[in-house]
Order: sequence, then C-alpha cells, then structure tokens
Amino acid sequence: MKKIFLRSGLLFLCFVPGTVLMSGVAVMASGGGVMDRIHHADEPFDTMEIDTAYQLPVKTVRAKESWKGGSFRVLARKDSITRYRCSVCHTDKKVLVKDAVLFTHGDIVINHGEGDNELACIQCHDEDDRDFLSDSSGKKIDFDHSYQLCGQCHFRQKRDWLGGAHGKRDAYWAGERVIRNCTTCHSPHSPAFKTKMPETYSLPLDQ
Amino acid sequence: MDSRKKEGQMKTNDILEKKSTRRSFIKKLSIAAAAGSAGLVAGGCVSTGETTEEMGLKWEEYFKKNYRMMTDKEKDETVARLEKLAKLQDDVNIQMSNQEPREKVLFGYAFNISRCKGYMDCVEACVKENNLDRNSKTQYIRIFEMDSGQQDPTSGDGKYHHEVPVENKYYMGIQCFHCENAPCIKACPTKATWREPDGIVVVDYDWCIGCRYCMAACPFWGRRFNWGEPEVPKEELNTKQHYLGNRKRMKGVMEKCTFCVQRTRQGKLPACADACPTGSRVFGNLLDPNSEIRYVLKHKKVFRFKEELGTDPKFWYFMD
Repeated sequence: MKKIFLRSGLLFLCFVPGTVLMSGVAVMASGGGVMDRIHHADEPFDTMEIDTAYQLPVKTVRAKESWKGGSFRVLARKDSITRYRCSVCHTDKKVLVKDAVLFTHGDIVINHGEGDNELACIQCHDEDDRDFLSDSSGKKIDFDHSYQLCGQCHFRQKRDWLGGAHGKRDAYWAGERVIRNCTTCHSPHSPAFKTKMPETYSLPLDQ
Repeated sequence: MDSRKKEGQMKTNDILEKKSTRRSFIKKLSIAAAAGSAGLVAGGCVSTGETTEEMGLKWEEYFKKNYRMMTDKEKDETVARLEKLAKLQDDVNIQMSNQEPREKVLFGYAFNISRCKGYMDCVEACVKENNLDRNSKTQYIRIFEMDSGQQDPTSGDGKYHHEVPVENKYYMGIQCFHCENAPCIKACPTKATWREPDGIVVVDYDWCIGCRYCMAACPFWGRRFNWGEPEVPKEELNTKQHYLGNRKRMKGVMEKCTFCVQRTRQGKLPACADACPTGSRVFGNLLDPNSEIRYVLKHKKVFRFKEELGTDPKFWYFMD
C-alpha cells in the first residue's frame, strides 16, 4: 500500500497527512535520519579544500586563543578606532579648556554595567599606557584582542563565542576561520543592541 | 534509511532508466525546425523583435532534460545558453554556475531565538541575493514576533512593523528547513524538486508545472509560488547565479530557499547568515565535527520545529 502512495502523485495528494505520519514513524523506528549521520561523522572536514573561500580584504589578526586545537583569526579593531594611537594626545602636554570637550572624550556615553557596577574608563583602559587595555589583574591587553578583557565578566559569552554559538563568522563558512571580535558588533561603551525599525516588512500570510 | 532508499529507487527506476529516445528525436527535430523558423525571421514575417540566435537558444532550452539527467557537458551548455539569453533578452551580463555539491558536506542551520532582535536584515538580504519578485514582495524568510510562553509561529505576528525588539517578545525565523525526509519532494509529480547530496532541497524551474502540491505538502510554509512574472529592477539584479538557485524564474513555477546554493557551494555563508547583525544565524557543515553548527548542536539546548512529523529538518533553534 505504502509503495502505491509514494509512487502515485495524484493519490499522494489525498493522503498527505497520512503519509507524512507514516514516514515519520519510519524515521523514528529505524533511528536513522540526519542525527544518525551527524553522530557518525567524526572525521574533521578540511575546509581549506574549498579554494573559493579566500581571505577577505579586511584586516584580521590571529587570535590568542585556540579553537578545536587549532588557531583562528578575529577582525582587527585598532584600524577602526579613529583616534588610535591614544598616546598621540595622552602625553604630559597640558590641555586647553577650549579643547576639553574633544580631548576628554565628552562624546562617549558609558552605558555598560548596571547601578553601582557601572564601569569607569580605567576599569578597561590601562591607566598608564593608553594604547592598551588592561584586565583586572593589570595585564596589558591589545585593542585587537579585547575578547581577553570582555571574557573576564562575560565568560559564558566568551565560551560560546569560541565555539561558534555567539558572534559570527565573517562571510565564509569554509576556509580559515575568521570570526568577529566582540567590538565588531558591540560598542564597548554601550554594548546593548539598540531598538530600531526593521529593514523591511512582510505581507500577511493569507495574501 | 527506509524512505531515502525508496526515494533513491524512484530516482533510478523512473528517471534514469527511461532514457527517452523520443525526446532526443524531438530535440533533433526541433533544431531543424529552429533553423527553418530562423529563415522565416530573416524573411521579416515575425515582428516580436526576436533575433535568430535568440529563437534558436529558446528552442534548445525548451527541449532540454531534467537537470538530474543532464551530463556535465549538457549542464555546461544550458548554463551557457541561459547566460546568452539573459544578454539577448534583458541585456544583462550574468555569470551562472552549475557547481556540483562538495563531497563530505551536509549543510545545516541553527537559529538563536534568544539573540534575534527582529531587525529583518536577513529578509532584505535574501530578497536581493535571490532576485525575488519585488512586485508581489516574495520573501523566503518570515520572522515572527512571538509572545513569551508560546512556541508555535502561528500564534506570533508575522507582519509586524514597529521598533524592535519589543520587551517580553522574542523573534523566530522560519524558512525552508531542507528536510532530509522532505514531504515536498514526495509530493512533486514531475520530479522537479529533489534533495542534493549536500542536503539542499532544490527546484528545477524548467520542470516545475506549478501544481503547488509541494506547497500543500510542506508543513513549514517553506515554498513560494510565482503568480506572475517575477520583477527585479535591472540595477538590483544579482548577476552571480546558480542553475538551481537564484536564476530567473518564470510565471507559474515554485521557488524556495536554497541555502543560497550559489554562495554556499563556494564556501560563503548564505546571504541571511551573512547579513544578520546579531549573530543569531549559524550555518555550516554538519559532517564536520569542528564546525560551528556542530558546536551548537553539541553544547546548546536545541529543538526542531514540528520534529514529531518526522520530516527530519536540518534547521535547529537554540537558546543562549
């Protein structure tokens, strides 16, 4: 009977719900399906094999972390900081009052950390060497490797990010793994995503 | 697997064995006829403005085989014809690929319902990438604004248009799930839709008769029908195309998400995953234990929508 259902397109239309259920039972009973294939696939795939996945013309740096025993790259940050290097201004030179708003970063609004835990500049920026960040132990951290800093508090996110469940790969699923840095998506001073109008809209389903 | 075996049998029995000698006969005949009608055109009897070359190409296109029965040479030929036709008919230079599936690759997708903010960048990117009909506002992806405590998209709002995200709502994207045991494939009376070895469910638009059985069979609203001739502004046309993907569709045929076959077989992410600003969309090779998608399946709490139907979708939802 089942064979006839599958073979005949016309008959099939009348029995769509029935057939779906029957084949569903078949999948579950045999324990097969895509999960079975996944569980049996334990041989790493060489993604470099796909030669059309080439490095993008964006600047990346090799991450100072390992992933599945190998290395990966993250998008660089320093190039997109308009006023880097910081030490150009952060010298012993005096600042004139008329330049104060610009020079004291009056345009930066910090909305990071709640209530009493709201962050101050020097909790992330190195107090002495402004060209670097520094973690809670005082270790200098490069702007390109800010994940080392963010991961101090956001360790769950960092764990997911390393594995691939948080953040995203850049442009290619194959080729060398290039993923976005924390600061590629989140503004470090106000990391939460903003509300905004959606890019487009959909027509009602019944139209 | 039982059903897959059966499907495979159908393929070999029904398609491959019946090598139609009648068709090849007609094809030869048609070329002769095209040559004949070309003579007519040259004589000035036809006023449609079609050139001889265009008519000849269209004849050959009309009598080509189902994509799965074509030899590599025939695939190359039809792709070249379609490129030429696009130039002649619409004056656009397209590059059409017939890239075969890669070995040891099975594509899968995961969607993070705790990260998606409903911005719909994915929908917009998909429309542009896949040359979807702007006239009827066809979209492969639908994002539902869901009330907390609900999981069925039919209870959500699929046509919201206000600032997002809204507090106490979450967003769930639905598109073709590329089921391993896809009911749409079984429903097709002309075998115009099938699952490729890399797991992508595709449509041969030239073999679709527009009966929409597949649309009725899909429990996930994954398929779209062209009620009219699809319209894409010339300047917005994506010229990087694939025979089984975003090439020009006709009035009266089905189409669907192809995991951006023209991109993913080149190692790129699908347009939706690439466009997502929140990182809610994870795409990769299910057969690679080092892939991101495998990390998600192993370390996150995942579920598949309507898993109980047994269609075995390759699309998972997960939470942080």
